[in-house]
Amino acid sequence: MSFIKVLILKFSSLRTQTMASSDKTINTDVPEKDVFAIHFLQSLSNLTTQNPFNSPDTTNYRARKIKKAAYVSMAKAAGGSSRLWSRALLGRAAKENNKIVRFARRKRKVTWKISSKRRSDQRAPEATDRLRNLVPGGGTMETSKLMEETAHYIKCLSMQVKVMQCLVDGLSPK
Amino acid sequence: MDLTHGFGARSGIGPVTGLESLNFSDEFRQLVTTTPPENSGGSFTALLEMPVTQAMELLHFTDSSSSQTNITKLAGDISPHPFGTLTFPSNSLLLDRAARFSVIATEQNGYISGETPSSSANLDRVKAEPAETDSVSENQNSKQNQNKRKEREKKAKSSMKKTKSSVEEDKLPYVHVRARRGQATDNHSLAERARREKINARMKLLQELVPGCDKIQGTALVLDEIINHVQSLQRQVEMLSMRLAAVNPRIDFNLDTILASENGSLMDGSFNGESYHQLQQWPFDGYHQPEWGREEDQHQADFPMGSTTLQPNQKISEPKRCRRRSP
Repeated sequence: MSFIKVLILKFSSLRTQTMASSDKTINTDVPEKDVFAIHFLQSLSNLTTQNPFNSPDTTNYRARKIKKAAYVSMAKAAGGSSRLWSRALLGRAAKENNKIVRFARRKRKVTWKISSKRRSDQRAPEATDRLRNLVPGGGTMETSKLMEETAHYIKCLSMQVKVMQCLVDGLSPK
Repeated sequence: MDLTHGFGARSGIGPVTGLESLNFSDEFRQLVTTTPPENSGGSFTALLEMPVTQAMELLHFTDSSSSQTNITKLAGDISPHPFGTLTFPSNSLLLDRAARFSVIATEQNGYISGETPSSSANLDRVKAEPAETDSVSENQNSKQNQNKRKEREKKAKSSMKKTKSSVEEDKLPYVHVRARRGQATDNHSLAERARREKINARMKLLQELVPGCDKIQGTALVLDEIINHVQSLQRQVEMLSMRLAAVNPRIDFNLDTILASENGSLMDGSFNGESYHQLQQWPFDGYHQPEWGREEDQHQADFPMGSTTLQPNQKISEPKRCRRRSP
């Protein structure tokens, strides 16, 4: 198993290096599909090794597990802790598993935005508010930062969807 | 007498009354000192089109002697003027103010030459007292000729605003405070503008990302579209995970086998012996090449049709699946 991990690390490090070289003002590069695929498959194998004795019967239960594994693997593949949304996702997943995961992060500035919004009467959920609800970790981000995270999140999501689609196509009986 | 014909005409007017000249000098002084040294938008020196040093020289000239010749000479210097007429209201009110500020103006020279407010600061200052100018101009109207009133009002506004601003300046202990106050509003507006530009740039990025957002005009609709896209992607993930869960009752993805099948040379003893044997049973290469022909670019890490730890019944079905798949 260690050999696998070495290979995976080599893959992911390779991808992230090439990504980091491109330095634009707004950097929303995501790794290639391989990284996502490897991470997803690893998470799936971890998932199944958790229940070696028998399979949980309900498809829903399995589906939920797979969905969680998909999100966690996506967060890991997309850059671990270098993105706010991935950090929030991983933190949320760890909390569900009752594991404490803490990333080194800068001191968060006080959320003036939310307190200022309460000043005016609660307006109808604006588009930015809805976006905050959708993107993980979007509650305490500035609007410009939110946009950046949304762009990266959309890219990663589409990549993950492609990977999963390939997997399903490969596995589904014809 | 009126000063409607400006400096150019002044030289032709000849003897100017002492009162007028005094007004002029005081006006000059306060106007020059209360405006920044650089030729920013609304500054008086820009209007004059002459450097500050010359204006200061003018001041000193008027300070030392208010002779007609001096004034006319200086007036002649600045006769090429963009504005046709530049009037100074010979108002008693103005005189009072001028007298008050003439003393302070010299003190504040040092401060003013040091500071460099932006042009917008001038505009803010200028804009900040429209009411004041209106009231003052009304005072002027009663004292001056009716037919000249409008012209003087127009030209007096700029001067009146500056005097008003200088009044405020006078109240405050330092020049910096006023400048800072003007700039504070500017900082807010500048920051707001920068923030808005940042958000718009990122919005454009998002627009390119989401298909079908280029045609839409307006940020609200674009945002709605983005939200819809994100929601659809999340729903897709959920859908696919359900399908994955339904596809195999037992999904056992064993990465050992995945990478073993691809990189035969890299296999080592750490692999599960059983899995390796089971790999031999399926001629992977034969099955996989047409299989992976279409998925080659998508999946570098090709996975087997099933894991090697399948149940017996599934093992039977796997090859069938492969065979059906190969064209």
